[in-house]
Amino acid sequence: MTTTALEHELKQMIIETLELEDVTPDDIDPEEPLFVEGLGLDSIDALELGLALQKRYGITLESEAESSRQHFANLKSLAALVESRRQK
Amino acid sequence: MTFRRLGDRPWRDRPQADAIAWIPPKGATPSRWLTVGEWQGRIGAWQQRLLETPNESDGWRLFEPDPVEFSAALVAIWERGDRVVLPADNQPKTLTALHGTGVALGPAEPMLGSDRSKSSPGRAPQWDSRPLPAVAVSLYTSGSSGEPQRLDKRFDQLDAELATQASLWPLAGRLVVSQVSHQHIYGLLFSILRPLCEYSPFATQPCRYPETLYTWLQYCQATGKRMILVSAPPALSRLPEALDWKPASAALETIYSSGAPLSRSASDLVHERLGTPVHEVYGSSETGGIAWRVQQRESAWTALPGVEVSHGDDNRLWLRSRHLEIPDQWQRQADLIALTDRGFELLGRADRIVKIGGKRISLTAMDRALSGLPGVERAQTLTLQRRDLRLAAIVQLSPSEVPHDHRQHRDTVKRLRRALAAHFETPVLPRYWRFVAPWPTNAQGKLGAEIRQRLFLDLEDRRAPRWLGERVHDSGWRVTLEVPEHCAYVDGHFDGQPVLPGIALVHWAMQQARRLFALTSDFDGLERLRFPQPLLPGDRFEMSLEHRRGDGAESLRLECDSRRGKHVSGRIALVDRQKRES
Repeated sequence: MTTTALEHELKQMIIETLELEDVTPDDIDPEEPLFVEGLGLDSIDALELGLALQKRYGITLESEAESSRQHFANLKSLAALVESRRQK
Repeated sequence: MTFRRLGDRPWRDRPQADAIAWIPPKGATPSRWLTVGEWQGRIGAWQQRLLETPNESDGWRLFEPDPVEFSAALVAIWERGDRVVLPADNQPKTLTALHGTGVALGPAEPMLGSDRSKSSPGRAPQWDSRPLPAVAVSLYTSGSSGEPQRLDKRFDQLDAELATQASLWPLAGRLVVSQVSHQHIYGLLFSILRPLCEYSPFATQPCRYPETLYTWLQYCQATGKRMILVSAPPALSRLPEALDWKPASAALETIYSSGAPLSRSASDLVHERLGTPVHEVYGSSETGGIAWRVQQRESAWTALPGVEVSHGDDNRLWLRSRHLEIPDQWQRQADLIALTDRGFELLGRADRIVKIGGKRISLTAMDRALSGLPGVERAQTLTLQRRDLRLAAIVQLSPSEVPHDHRQHRDTVKRLRRALAAHFETPVLPRYWRFVAPWPTNAQGKLGAEIRQRLFLDLEDRRAPRWLGERVHDSGWRVTLEVPEHCAYVDGHFDGQPVLPGIALVHWAMQQARRLFALTSDFDGLERLRFPQPLLPGDRFEMSLEHRRGDGAESLRLECDSRRGKHVSGRIALVDRQKRES
């Protein structure tokens, strides 16, 4: 899968998992922060995203959660995480 | 059972070598125990800092996410005979509102695992004979009007509560791990004060993520430690199934949850995954602990020892409790309950206070903040139970501010959310927005439940339009609609510009007409219907409908217009259902 295809898949996953009713994949800038400013996600969303990553890609975040959560900074970093750690 | 009252200063004469807290492993650094001696050094350091900080009041405003620094600061302030003011969060608006309540301490920004302890060296604490302050802590919570409401807690109130918990569920030296903020009463009591009074160690970092909990449980399991988890519904209802909780979870002794009721299904899942039932504690900043339950044993709530519960004719909860400011007086609360023979059930609240992700929020305050923003004429917020409880906003903007397409809609939502973020934490900001025009009301002039349901129908039904209001127009109706971005009729996500097929407008017209004209006839074909240009996802448009009947022919006149022009124009032929069947 190419990076852009994976990025698109992740955009869809974010939109569907978090029910972002008025956000389209094009609205998510791969370099823009996902949390607070940028897309405006919050701490509840972070938990939901962690669950979705496990379900979809079998990724178990490591215990040093602070650094795991850095992967959530923007879509690019999230795609890099999935690419390097996916089990399915 | 070990329990010493806060009034007896349990922090002073504890053996120096005792473990007071557990420092989790970080990278290659293994975990270790923090001794009472080291912790008292932090108290001494805070005493010095307070000494050097000018303060003409007797209050210190403490926002400090690090549990070790927080607990040391708490003791240092009390030992001076001063009062601790606890802001619920460190939002700019909260801190401004509390400006006159003493000198601010702690980091301006939340920072975790900070190395500040290294910057100020530990010092021996000074114990003298100054009495403890009359008020131990002042908490601030949003009252029903949304104004911060100050709640003073005396030592005897806190001690009554701590003693109750120690007798019901003794910590017995187990490790206390917290997933909640100690700036609120529940976290303060369960994750900081109980360990101090019961001589049980606590973790030096909050355990925010399930993966962290998992690793810490493995540590406990490997070293024969037992863990007590202080948690809340947002974390407990999202335990990943992919983690193999089983052997490690044997180290878990008890799970506490408070802040909001945990759903029965979430409670069962936690029980299944972690092998331990959840003890839910019901209470509030105002009332302290009121009752508890373990849902697998009983879904009704049982009053805590020392708490008496009753209810009035209006179902309002009446309370007499040692945790209240006036312990021997019955007081009416905003919660609604129903007494059962096994305890009581919660029926919601009589005011407009809700909890989103464990954060308490007054909808009245949100409405007011939203209504005060530039371009907003009227606003009302409500909760939607979508995956989780989230806020939705119904907003009437001034005509020039109304968004007409997807881009404008996103920009408007971003602008409004950003403006609200100065007053509220991100999880409580409205997630679903409906920019209505005019303000939708029923025959009684109210925005009733039926209208609320219609406004958010597109979330339930992917084929429904976003309905934003309607008015009588000529001899028919004009309905304001939006094309939902994720509408099932919209296709072409992968190949260029997705559009709404014209036939979807015909479906929508028929649906609206059935409701508006109480239509009993069926679709019988299109008559001179033109679709000059397609609608795009996010487009706002006006659908004009007129029901015509005469000369044996029945039809629906349909026009759809947006800022960009006309999208449909013509007639839908109708046929009487009975005629058709015959």
